[in-house]
Amino acid sequence: MSNKIKRLISTTFIYLILFGVLLITVFPLLYTFLGSFKTNMELLTNSRSLIPKTFVLDNYTQAWKLANFERYTFNSIFLSFFIVLGTIFTSTISGYVFERGNFRFKNLIFAMVISSMFVSLGSLTLYPQLMIAKVFGINKSLWGVIIIRVFGMNVTNLFITRAYIKTINKEIDESAKVDGCTFFRIYRSIIFPLLKPLVATLAILEFRFAWNDYLMPMVFTLSNPKRMPLVVGIMNLKGSGAAASSWNLMLAGTSIAIIPMIIVYAIFNRYYITGLTAGAVKG
Amino acid sequence: MKTSNKSSNSTYKVKWFKKDSTQAVLMLSPMLIGFILFTYVPIIYILRYAFYDSNGFKETFIGIENFIRVFTRDKSYWSSLLNTIILTFGKLAVEIPLALFLAVLLNKGRKGTGFFRTTLFMPTVISAAIAGLIFSLMFASFNGMVNGILQDIGIIEKPISWFSSKGSALFVIGFASVWNNFGINMVFFLMALQSVPVELYECASLDGVNAFQRFFKITLPMIGPTFQVVLLNAIVGSLKMADLILSTTNGQPGGKTEVVMTYVFKYFFGYDARAVEVGYASSMALVTAVILALIAFIYMRSSKKLGNSY
Repeated sequence: MSNKIKRLISTTFIYLILFGVLLITVFPLLYTFLGSFKTNMELLTNSRSLIPKTFVLDNYTQAWKLANFERYTFNSIFLSFFIVLGTIFTSTISGYVFERGNFRFKNLIFAMVISSMFVSLGSLTLYPQLMIAKVFGINKSLWGVIIIRVFGMNVTNLFITRAYIKTINKEIDESAKVDGCTFFRIYRSIIFPLLKPLVATLAILEFRFAWNDYLMPMVFTLSNPKRMPLVVGIMNLKGSGAAASSWNLMLAGTSIAIIPMIIVYAIFNRYYITGLTAGAVKG
Repeated sequence: MKTSNKSSNSTYKVKWFKKDSTQAVLMLSPMLIGFILFTYVPIIYILRYAFYDSNGFKETFIGIENFIRVFTRDKSYWSSLLNTIILTFGKLAVEIPLALFLAVLLNKGRKGTGFFRTTLFMPTVISAAIAGLIFSLMFASFNGMVNGILQDIGIIEKPISWFSSKGSALFVIGFASVWNNFGINMVFFLMALQSVPVELYECASLDGVNAFQRFFKITLPMIGPTFQVVLLNAIVGSLKMADLILSTTNGQPGGKTEVVMTYVFKYFFGYDARAVEVGYASSMALVTAVILALIAFIYMRSSKKLGNSY
């Protein structure tokens, strides 16, 4: 009997903790989302209630039409679309070539790629990257970002794809080879179609990365504000002198930026979690 | 591997571009070129410019003058590095135990575990820059909701100006970072916990082991290797923090909350009305890379015990 009560108390306690953390976790999101329906007047004065006194859609129409968010949203979609699409091909091809290919210096090249992981320059290589992009004339548009992301060889993606392709039985490609399939043909007609679950994971990881990226797109659109993606646009709004008077726009813009992400997450959260964990543990 | 010989000697007539190894190289070459151009060349670029005085247009070779400047004259650089370290270890001291604690709670297979896991993971999908923005609005001094709530509860009398002193500003930044990142670590720990054999716990409960002993003597050693990798990722990731700072304080007040990445970044781009000093920024980037590598190395050395604890 007393054991039962003890357990009941500990279970209640655990749920209390979980709900407490949950509250802190969702609070900033609710704050943003509900705040985006408040009037700017309310945002600047009443700061105690999550629920707006009056729901207005004004902020969204204003952000969309006057504050360029229509363009920013388009740019974000454009950027993410090409990065996701391109990365799916370049990552699976690199993984395939390193796993199944056979050519001189393969291991040396692979070691070179891997070793780049240990140089922790982070965002500090952005300047030289921009200068190199300038040589090719792609430093003032999102194409520069897309090309760097797609062809820059993402080590995490390489690890994930290589490990996945390793699990595909080699006899499949060998019998295709006997039938006269070339190395590329095997990738196109046999390996790639078998990678569907992996492609979903890659797409979601890359979408998150491209949609959320801030510094690189910022640097590439410094002199070309028309091409700014959402995150850069919102930060630009914050940095501008009008920040205090545009809380409503910032909140509406932020909602526009995070809601697609959360919807995608809600639908595909399984892929997210497996993808993110696979990448980090293997790396 | 061995079959490539078989196919190539069976067909002499095949042109060389039909050879498997040639095709492999051709398929890889766009990525290889991209990799060399955008990963290796920038490193070489930084290595070179570290010895130059350059504003992006004019450059003169000045030897190790830049390094002398970093080590002897630039106090702000070292204080930004110190901030990075304080912020990293301060926030991880909360984030990692929190993530582990939640993982242990969720590992028991109670009702609603899936729901909690999915929801607690949610902030992880949000951009660090956006997370910083949301927190800077919530913690705004006059109309921020946090001040409002704290006043309502009666904890504080008048609004706190969170971002005007270094301590409280770093606290908010750390808070935002924990919020943004604890979910992923929680999921890592959860995965590791699920691979701990249940029999171990059963044996322990027969021997009358209590919950604390169970955690420290069984759970922690069993997930040691995962713990080591997770912590390494978390440390390296936090040391490279930049977006969050730019979106909250942007180094204000007076550069006191600058972290090393943002500090050097601003010298590269002449951000915030600073002069562009590519050469000097490059040398700082090099020093930073070496220091970060050193921290990771020391960590790996000292956490060896963790990695092979079972």
